[in-house]
Amino acid sequence: MSTLSLHQIRKQFGDVVAVHEMNLHVNHGEFLCILGPSGCGKSTALRMIAGFEEPTAGDIRIDDRSIGMLPPNKRPTAMVFQKYTLWPHMRVYENIAFGLRLHGFSRKDIDEKVKGALELVGLPAYGKRFPSQLSGGEQQRIALARALVLQPKILLLDEPFSNLDALLRVRLREELRRIQRQVNITAIFVTHDQEEALSLADRIAVMNKGRIEQLDHPSRIYEQPQTLFVADFIGVMNLLPAHQDGGEIIIGSYRMPVPSGNEYSGDVTLAVRPEDLAIVPSGSDAAWNGQVEHVIDLGHYRKVLVRTEHMGVLKVYLPKAVDVREATTLALQPTRYTIFRDHQTPIEVHAGSVPQLSLQGMA
Amino acid sequence: MTTVTITSIPFIRFFRREGIGILWLIGLIFGIVLPILTVLLWAFAIKWRYPSVLPTEWGLDFWMETLSRADIRRALPNSIALSVLVTVLSAVICLPASFAFARLQFRGKQGLLLSFLFTNAFPRFGLYIAIAVIFFRFKLVGTFAGVVVIQLLNTLLLMIWIPTAAFQGVDRALEEAGLDVGASPLQVFIQITLPMVFPALFAALLLTFVNTFYETYGALLIGAPNVLTIPVIMFPLINNQPIPQFGAILSLVLFAPSVVLLLFANRLLRGGYLTAGFGV
Amino acid sequence: MTASQTEPAPHSKSRFSTVLPYLLVAPPILMVFGLIFFPALQSTLRTLTDAETGAFSLARYEMFFADKTSVTSLIFTIQIALESLLGLFVICFPLALYLRFNTSRIATGVQMISLLPMFVPGIMSAYALIRFVRGRGLFETLIYQVSPLLADAYYSPYVKPEGIVIGLIWEAIPFTVLILLAGLRQLDNGLIESAQDIGANRWYIFTRIILPLMRRSILIAFCLNFISMFGAYTIPYLLGPAAPQTMGVLMQRTLQDYQQPLEAETQAVITFLICSLVGLVYVQSVSGERVRKG
Repeated sequence: MSTLSLHQIRKQFGDVVAVHEMNLHVNHGEFLCILGPSGCGKSTALRMIAGFEEPTAGDIRIDDRSIGMLPPNKRPTAMVFQKYTLWPHMRVYENIAFGLRLHGFSRKDIDEKVKGALELVGLPAYGKRFPSQLSGGEQQRIALARALVLQPKILLLDEPFSNLDALLRVRLREELRRIQRQVNITAIFVTHDQEEALSLADRIAVMNKGRIEQLDHPSRIYEQPQTLFVADFIGVMNLLPAHQDGGEIIIGSYRMPVPSGNEYSGDVTLAVRPEDLAIVPSGSDAAWNGQVEHVIDLGHYRKVLVRTEHMGVLKVYLPKAVDVREATTLALQPTRYTIFRDHQTPIEVHAGSVPQLSLQGMA
Repeated sequence: MTTVTITSIPFIRFFRREGIGILWLIGLIFGIVLPILTVLLWAFAIKWRYPSVLPTEWGLDFWMETLSRADIRRALPNSIALSVLVTVLSAVICLPASFAFARLQFRGKQGLLLSFLFTNAFPRFGLYIAIAVIFFRFKLVGTFAGVVVIQLLNTLLLMIWIPTAAFQGVDRALEEAGLDVGASPLQVFIQITLPMVFPALFAALLLTFVNTFYETYGALLIGAPNVLTIPVIMFPLINNQPIPQFGAILSLVLFAPSVVLLLFANRLLRGGYLTAGFGV
Repeated sequence: MTASQTEPAPHSKSRFSTVLPYLLVAPPILMVFGLIFFPALQSTLRTLTDAETGAFSLARYEMFFADKTSVTSLIFTIQIALESLLGLFVICFPLALYLRFNTSRIATGVQMISLLPMFVPGIMSAYALIRFVRGRGLFETLIYQVSPLLADAYYSPYVKPEGIVIGLIWEAIPFTVLILLAGLRQLDNGLIESAQDIGANRWYIFTRIILPLMRRSILIAFCLNFISMFGAYTIPYLLGPAAPQTMGVLMQRTLQDYQQPLEAETQAVITFLICSLVGLVYVQSVSGERVRKG
């Protein structure tokens, strides 16, 4: 059983605070992604867990034992780096065996373990090669084998696939997940790629400016963003500045009700996913009217940019069956939206029964 | 009907494409290779009468005679001992420094590193005269130690510059990966960092050895006439000797370590070691 | 949250770790300052003072410039250096251009041969050239095979100023080609292609794109070669005439044959001063680049 917890971890470089008091608990066998834009402190957090950076304050515990004072070579963590960090002067076999030798395993044990690790990553015949003879994807697999062969308690991955091409990235992602389940190891994966995080993680920690904005299951991160940053960073979102006046949202000339108990007066932001905008019969009361500016065909659906009078350009996803062209006038209504106020739990609103326009009616 | 155009003749086509290159090749063979070849031929000639293109009589007779001369028997061990000692000392003095320049952070680092480049701005010969004036006072002129010091100066730049670039070139992540699998910092240095910079260090040591083995000015000004090296005793042999073979044979002796260097020429070139330390 | 707030490990920035870098770089730095900058400075100052009174004096320079041999040497050396530089660039510039834009096996061969002099000991180069260009040397022998009459007309540059120029160029070719090539490699093929694309001719590309981008390499090659040619000894001594002598030969004679260290020092300082003109250009272009690279 290996769990990891960070207590009030802080990292400061000179005057710059890279990580603000961060708390995190990772369960045994869990696959946790730390997701955020570059410079958000996610790599620094990971490097503190690995021991490459010393926290300015706070405590790191593995299985409830503090490891904050241990140098990286004494920590039960293993890291896969962004760049391919195989030692170029050693063959693949030696790369994997290096750590085992340092730990004093017998030659027979080393041989067995290296072979096992190579098989695990699907490259059993690669022991005699030099890293320069491997492709990027193969190098990263060997790096993974090198990390796993020591049976660390925590596996750390720092954007390991970001140097690979898109197709390979997806394949290795699936493979990593399979291996992680197979050896049942606790893993922390840092990435700026939301698709990667959403498809890999048991839980995602979205980081911004040195803070965790939201720690949640992937579906909740997408469906119920808890901060404006998460709402904007994950997926595509229409963010509309609006004003709340008591129990009503005022946006341009439109007025929308707010569920009771959420009365407030001041500026708010309305967040609407493109798939949550539906076409309604034109002329209906609450409909947002706009003109189609651009239609982008994305295979099984269309992304439509609609210029409105008060809300700028709205991104709308429509099924292919709906026939829209540039310069068509559309009436839209949100079926679901979230209201964000400063430092308050966002309010999720389901518009419930918005009358849908039949497809024929459009034509 | 097929017409044979002039460009379809392979040789003509080749020449049109490579003409300039062939001209360069011929020019450089004349200008560079043939003079070197002359030395080689003279070293194995007993007689070479004008206007014969090749020696009129071949033989190794002069090798025995040259290598048994008293001055050469004294100078050769001197030259070798000097080169070995200078290479070792240069490494001891410069390698820790180049590691510091590459890896440690300290105030004034850039300036200090640049000061090595600035030594290029002094004409060597004039500089050795200025140093000789100081050495006179310390009674270092005409001593082995004096020659060692002057040769060290000569190779300092090389021994700082190449290793510094090499240490800078080692990706930090590769070392972190070593720490990560449980190696101590010392183990990382010995088993990961050093093997990776080894080619550069080897190049620096080799270049230092060879440069010291050849070096003429410093040895002449500081060492002569007490401490003689092969290049220094060659002056009279080239200038006043009616027998050209002495100079030719000693040239080849002097050239011998360069052959090793030539074997690595391609790697030296690709590593940028041949122009290291000139601020290019 | 009841996080066990362990104090961060006191950052072990001990005194030792601040001093350590300086300890490591001290030996070579002390050598450079103690045995290059200091002697150069000291010699310069000494030539400007009266040995007995310690007052400022130009007496030693007056002596130098009053001596006809010395002045002739100085002018001769500058002349030789400039002529050699001119010849060097006439050969190396087209050579570097050829090597930059050709990758055939012939180009590789040309490159290897052009680097050869770098691996030849200085005194061996001198010897090789003597044996090659002197009267009845291999060069004349080869001419003789073409026509004995032509061989009779052969004018050997050995023990003439031309001999020095040839020798200095010969030795400097590899280094110059490498530096110019390094400059040329910085310019991207795309840059040239895009210029061709908008219809620029070769001359335009050369003067407006290649030359400006190579300014730095040309400067460095010029400065370093000037300095090394100015301070050359072996080639001028062995290939040059008995008179006039270059500064290198003059200094060596003055110091060792005539045992006049003070005069030799004055001559050395004069070479410093002349070289410092180009030396400054070099220092500026090198440090400018370093600072820019950060």
